[in-house]
Amino acid sequence: MPHLKVENLRVGYLPGIDILQGMSLEAKPGKITGIIGPNGAGKSTLLKAAFGFLKAHEGSILFNGNPIQDESPAAIKKRGISYIPQGANNFPQLPVKENLLLGCWIFRKDKERIERVLEETYEMFSVLKKKHGQRAGLLSGGEAKMLSIAKELVTSPSLALVDEPSAGLSPKITDYVYEFLAKKRDEGLTILIVDQNIQKAVEYSEYLYMFEMGTVKMEGEQKVFAGSIREIIRDSLVGAGDE
Amino acid sequence: MDLTSFTQYVLSGLVIGVIYALMAVSITFVHGMMKIVNWSMGEFYMIGCFVQYLLVTRFVGPDLWVLGIPVAFCLVFLFGMGIQRYLLRPMFMGEAERLDEYATIITITLMVLFRNLAIIIGGPYQYSVPDYFPPTDLGPLPISGNRFMALVGTVLILGVFYFVMKKTWAGRALQGMSQNRIGIQTAGINVRRLDEIAFGIGVGLAAAAGALLAPVFLVWAESGSVPTMKGFEIIVIGGLGSIPGSIIAALLLGLIESLGSVYISSVYRDLFGFVFLILILVFRPNGLFGERERLA
Repeated sequence: MPHLKVENLRVGYLPGIDILQGMSLEAKPGKITGIIGPNGAGKSTLLKAAFGFLKAHEGSILFNGNPIQDESPAAIKKRGISYIPQGANNFPQLPVKENLLLGCWIFRKDKERIERVLEETYEMFSVLKKKHGQRAGLLSGGEAKMLSIAKELVTSPSLALVDEPSAGLSPKITDYVYEFLAKKRDEGLTILIVDQNIQKAVEYSEYLYMFEMGTVKMEGEQKVFAGSIREIIRDSLVGAGDE
Repeated sequence: MDLTSFTQYVLSGLVIGVIYALMAVSITFVHGMMKIVNWSMGEFYMIGCFVQYLLVTRFVGPDLWVLGIPVAFCLVFLFGMGIQRYLLRPMFMGEAERLDEYATIITITLMVLFRNLAIIIGGPYQYSVPDYFPPTDLGPLPISGNRFMALVGTVLILGVFYFVMKKTWAGRALQGMSQNRIGIQTAGINVRRLDEIAFGIGVGLAAAAGALLAPVFLVWAESGSVPTMKGFEIIVIGGLGSIPGSIIAALLLGLIESLGSVYISSVYRDLFGFVFLILILVFRPNGLFGERERLA
């Protein structure tokens, strides 16, 4: 059974204007599924819809077989889905540790579990341990991104929706972030990832979708995309609608 | 000038400052949480005044005056949650085009509505709450009992507020919401509920201030206008969104008013604060402790 299944989804920011125009796709369990495509193709919109930030005008989003398209972000989070938005999604005036604690909100009554996940997080990201008392707004770009990721993964989700994990980061930190996500995948996390960095997305994804103008233009195994990566990058740079 | 009277002026300024602080904190709290200016804040204060007046004169009597504060807070907290839910929430649902304008229209409408309702119900009269505490001394300063209790009450309420914000999960979530609304939702927090709670706490604090100050000032339909004016003055001086800033600015304003009235002229009492406000706007436009706006 696929973890996340999107069927014929129509979603937009304004009534009557659909950004996604009948989108269908799947994120397979324990795999990284990548979404690439030009600006405005609807990649981030899909993730926002899957996390309940946008309401579907039509179609369905199934998570483990349950329809979630009408649920709130809070309810979706409790189902085991985490959303990692683009850029730093921290609370800049709060210390690093408080940021992580807020990430633990859905199990805030379970003190033992909080202790445990904080320890695990500090083990994975020693820099967060070192700076646990510092305001998140004072972290470097890479550290802030790690905090943003760690904060969403403390709940041990089964699916992570990751939007543009490489945006604004140096190549070295981008590599680190992708290696980290791959490690999480190996531990069983299902990942649906959107990235402008097509090279990275193709390198790490087992299955890919290419969006254009709110529909799936092409989909397939990694090797299908890896063979024609130059053409894909060229097409996506030129953008949609020039054919 | 002798030292004793100077100390008295300073103390009486600080007492006024502490009394102003609660109203200022409530305004800046709502602004920080929801990024709106609540123009009807003074009317929630006024409701608090009337609750206290009615309790003391009609229901429980002056001995149980302390009851008025939690009662006013709780009633207005629930009322504020309802207002947030049914009148203000649409602006967070993508149905309003200009959020600040929407909030301005709604809250000014509420201000006019509540004032006129108060006139209809209470008439155009000014009521005074009877003294319930004997005059006392604060160091060298003789002080009316009610004003003294307002001082103590404000300090206690601000203490509880500080504790809730810093030490509880709800406070942590509220702080987070003021800094990053998206981040609160990705953490799985029901942001709509939190909006209701935030607005409820904000207007509840104003009502608690009203209940505490009902016997210090007069109770009538426009009770709220002076505290609102002072409140806005204070939060601009202190820096929008900064709670410590508004407390310090409130103390400063109280001091300036008190010393200005004594050493310059008490006729211009309200003017001193505004001159100070203009100086702050010229030299520190973000206020004394202005914080950066949230990311999202």
